[in-house]
Amino acid sequence: METLLEILNDIDDTVNWEDETALIDDRILDSFGVISLISELEDQFEIEIDASEIVPENFNSADAMWKMIQRLQEN
Amino acid sequence: MALAYHTELYLFVFLPLVVLVYHFSSQKMRRAVLILAGYIFFWSFSQWLVGYLIAVSGLVYGAGRWMEQLKETGKARSKGLPSKERSAVKKQYKAKEKKVLIAGIVILLGILAYLKYCNFFIQNINRIFAASGSGFHLNPQNLLIPIGISFYTLEAIGYMADVYWGRIKAEHNFGKVALFLGFFPQIMEGPISSWNDTADALWECRPVRSENLTKGIIRIAWGLFKKIVVADRLSVLVAAIYDDYTSYHGVMIVVVAIAYTLQLYMEFSGCMDIVIGSGNLFGVDLPENFRQPFFAGNASEFWRRWHITLGAWLKAYVFYPVSVSGLVKKWNHFARKHVGKYLTKMGIFAMTLFPVWMCNGLWHGAQWNYILYGMYYFVILLAGEAVAPVREMVLERFHLDCHALYWRVPQILKTWMIIFTGEMFFRAEGAAAGFHMFRSIFQGFELQKLWDGTLLGMGLNAADFAAVGFGILIVAVADILKERKLLNWDKLQEMKLPVRWILYYGLIFAVLLLGAYGTGYQQVDLIYAGF
Repeated sequence: METLLEILNDIDDTVNWEDETALIDDRILDSFGVISLISELEDQFEIEIDASEIVPENFNSADAMWKMIQRLQEN
Repeated sequence: MALAYHTELYLFVFLPLVVLVYHFSSQKMRRAVLILAGYIFFWSFSQWLVGYLIAVSGLVYGAGRWMEQLKETGKARSKGLPSKERSAVKKQYKAKEKKVLIAGIVILLGILAYLKYCNFFIQNINRIFAASGSGFHLNPQNLLIPIGISFYTLEAIGYMADVYWGRIKAEHNFGKVALFLGFFPQIMEGPISSWNDTADALWECRPVRSENLTKGIIRIAWGLFKKIVVADRLSVLVAAIYDDYTSYHGVMIVVVAIAYTLQLYMEFSGCMDIVIGSGNLFGVDLPENFRQPFFAGNASEFWRRWHITLGAWLKAYVFYPVSVSGLVKKWNHFARKHVGKYLTKMGIFAMTLFPVWMCNGLWHGAQWNYILYGMYYFVILLAGEAVAPVREMVLERFHLDCHALYWRVPQILKTWMIIFTGEMFFRAEGAAAGFHMFRSIFQGFELQKLWDGTLLGMGLNAADFAAVGFGILIVAVADILKERKLLNWDKLQEMKLPVRWILYYGLIFAVLLLGAYGTGYQQVDLIYAGF
């Protein structure tokens, strides 16, 4: 989770990533933000993020992202 | 006789009749009523080609069921296996599913491309041979294009992709798929909805309720106001200049670029009001296609406010899939090591934005000016992302607030210039005409043409200009109120009765009194129905 927060803070350190729960719905993370983030996550966590994973539920909060990462690492 | 949304036949005969029959039918029958109404509507434009819509519904229904079956078989066969083998079996079945999805997409896009782009290729091949002095010539084909093909094809692809990705379950009832793709208010101009947006609400077939009727009728009247009072008048001015564009330059080209943008907004968003209002009558909330686009601070924001459902479709089914494709991933791994973070990111943006804007341009039709229009936004959006770090630095360095008026207003004005220029190319008869018009802006500006009577020689008189000005003012006020969240369609319903009815009657009288009817005006076809 720490690595994830580091990546997120690297994108924008003015956002309170741990508490936000509507990153996509409130457009804190836009579509460019999402694809930049995906490439970071794939690199850092050695996972493959499929197009089917790109839904608001997986990116609305750091917690949701972390759950997705763990699920993809298990596969 | 075609049942276009702005015609008397649709508004005063077809729509009320469908509502009546729907109201007096049982819930099960209501579904049949809506499906049948869709096919009658379709028939009124394309006659026997209604078979194509039914075939598309059959194809995506079948593809959905097939993918579902593969999913289940894959699951059953992988049960109880060790994790490595389980994953291999799952992959094997996912690959099979992918083949079904790709076959479905290829068939749908193949037919769409053949019908829409075949003559475009023939014309361009002929041009190349003519330029080389060869006598080779291909005859353009006389193709009949089913109405609305560009809209329901995207919905159909979206449905299949959602089933493939497991975002939705394959539908077991063919009627529900048929209604999702063939709901008559949406056939001609969208909005392009996803299965999750509308399928359940349509299938529910809620009873007709008086508040929904009022909401729907007022929304339809609002759409007619925009179309008949403003757009149809502006279309006269726009056609006068575009039909003879070589005779105009300077301020007149600026006038027509602005006039066409406003015409397109009033027309397309007006049509969407009629469409969404029609949906309201049956208790269905169709997705919005416009959200005060002229308040956008940059081109990217503009596209989140203009033709929203097309942008959302392209984002979900082109932008994101491309962003996780092998090519982008390879670039990501390579570029991170060799060119640094910024260029890696820009490379990814270029690779993902290019197909989106190529598709956007091509979707509008097979003309070079549409492709140019797509590429225009591709370059602008990419440039916007490229200078983002500089913008951030300026804002930080000078302690500027990007929400303050001193920043926001110039941004909005800059976006207007981008929009007007884009729409000028969009309406032009080919790319060469677009470039000719753009260059001629700088050849003798002649500002006095705005007041020396030139504008009155374009088919519109002073009263017409007054009506257009009044219409734009009313729409602008409504958009400002909506933008500031002081007004929306639900809040309007909650207003005090006398205020509400004054507004309603005012709107209906404005449509009746100020509409462009009678001699000198022609009923103007819906622009987006041609795409």
